Amino acid sequence: MSTRQLTANSRQSTAHPKTVTMTIDGKAVRVSEGASVLDAARQAGVHIPTLCHHEALEAWGGCRLCVVDVTRQGWDGWCKLVVSCMYAAEDGLIVLTDTDRVKLTRKVVLDLLLARCPETPLIQELASRHGIDRTSYQANPEPTDCILCGLCTRVCDHIGVSAISTVDRGIGKQVAPPFHQAPPDCIGCLACAEICPTSCIPYETSDTRRVIWEKSFEMVRCPQCGRAHITQEQARHYAGRGGVPASYFDTCDACKRRQLASTFTKLQVVQGGAR
Amino acid sequence: MSTEACVDPAALSDILSRYPAAEPSLIQVLQDVHRAYNYLPCDVLVKVAEALDVPLAKVFSVGTFYKAFSLVPQGRTIVRVCTGTACHIRGAGQLLEELERQLDIKAGETTKDMGFTIKTVNCVGACAMAPVVIVGEKYHGAAKPAKVGKMLGQGGGHEN
Ligand code: SF4
Ligand code: SF4
Ligand code: FES
Ligand code: FES
Repeated sequence: MSTRQLTANSRQSTAHPKTVTMTIDGKAVRVSEGASVLDAARQAGVHIPTLCHHEALEAWGGCRLCVVDVTRQGWDGWCKLVVSCMYAAEDGLIVLTDTDRVKLTRKVVLDLLLARCPETPLIQELASRHGIDRTSYQANPEPTDCILCGLCTRVCDHIGVSAISTVDRGIGKQVAPPFHQAPPDCIGCLACAEICPTSCIPYETSDTRRVIWEKSFEMVRCPQCGRAHITQEQARHYAGRGGVPASYFDTCDACKRRQLASTFTKLQVVQGGAR
Repeated sequence: MSTEACVDPAALSDILSRYPAAEPSLIQVLQDVHRAYNYLPCDVLVKVAEALDVPLAKVFSVGTFYKAFSLVPQGRTIVRVCTGTACHIRGAGQLLEELERQLDIKAGETTKDMGFTIKTVNCVGACAMAPVVIVGEKYHGAAKPAKVGKMLGQGGGHEN
């Protein structure tokens, strides 16, 4: 067992190499230091299924679907199961994404998720791709589409709002706003609904109004094209962070780009004329 | 959010003054709030969030995560029935039924006079004494349905 301790202090001792080289399913791959095994696998074109990972957010390690076996030369064949999205790439690491143990672990994860979400297409599909057509556990009598991947709450934290969170625990755990009422902090940006892998956060959005988490928002219309593109709360939130007046966000991105392009064109004309 | 009667705000400022006004104080503050009010009142949670500069969603998440916290008013005496494996095997079910019958409430509920709340817990680490019922702070080992009335009579106090 003591060979396993190697991993704990296998941080590179050589003077800060900028890249590390490792193999994934036999393919050599070089990634920058600080990359995860999952990043390395994606770079090498090796598919690892994930459910709670998103490039824009910090790795969280919640779903355990991305498990892989890792080993090294000198480990006498010892392997250990790690979550690839959280495990840092290291020089000389040998990653195996298709061992029996990896397949079995993913199967158990999906079997459990299918029990929780028996009617969710994404989970049904993933499970069936791993050879499970029906859960071996008792299927949830109150099916939900929420797989508790935490992407919605984490993206809401990431934008600096934190209007929603996980509530309760165990089988009662769910994502909800405080006191299960329209969240006072929500700015109606829809990031949570858009990032949700099972699209289970309902919302409505129209030219005049947007409703999410049972909170309604008035929309800001672009003065140029008339499109309702963000909520007033969003404009205020972004302005607060960026140090620009909220009115800066009145104009939609598309119109801003058009404006900028025409400004550049004019500039070029002026420059050209001066020559 | 403010459907309930306003609670004494003095206790809260007293609690808040004891801890640094930052996120790491959250659980301690919630524990003290729970002790002072016997539950976590919504309006107090809103003030805690503001005072510690923690998003309200985080406060609610923590408040609902721990079984030790209640978000609804509770009885003066909490009756905890252990339904862990050992206690379950030794008759926690009948004990619970008898308690529910005598107090005329279900597990998780509170009597109308706010005297008692029944809760179920999963193993209190006293399996050798199974089945265990904890009335207030008093542990009753090898509890029997026939003794439920007596246990409740001894209730309230903090004798140990
Ligand atoms: S609501 Fe969607 S994003 Fe949020 S935890 Fe559930 S599945 Fe994940
Ligand atoms: S819509 Fe509201 S809850 Fe969802 S990410 Fe935006 S601010 Fe957060
Ligand atoms: S993607 Fe790695 S644990 Fe979810
Ligand atoms: S199961 Fe009741 S004390 Fe352990």
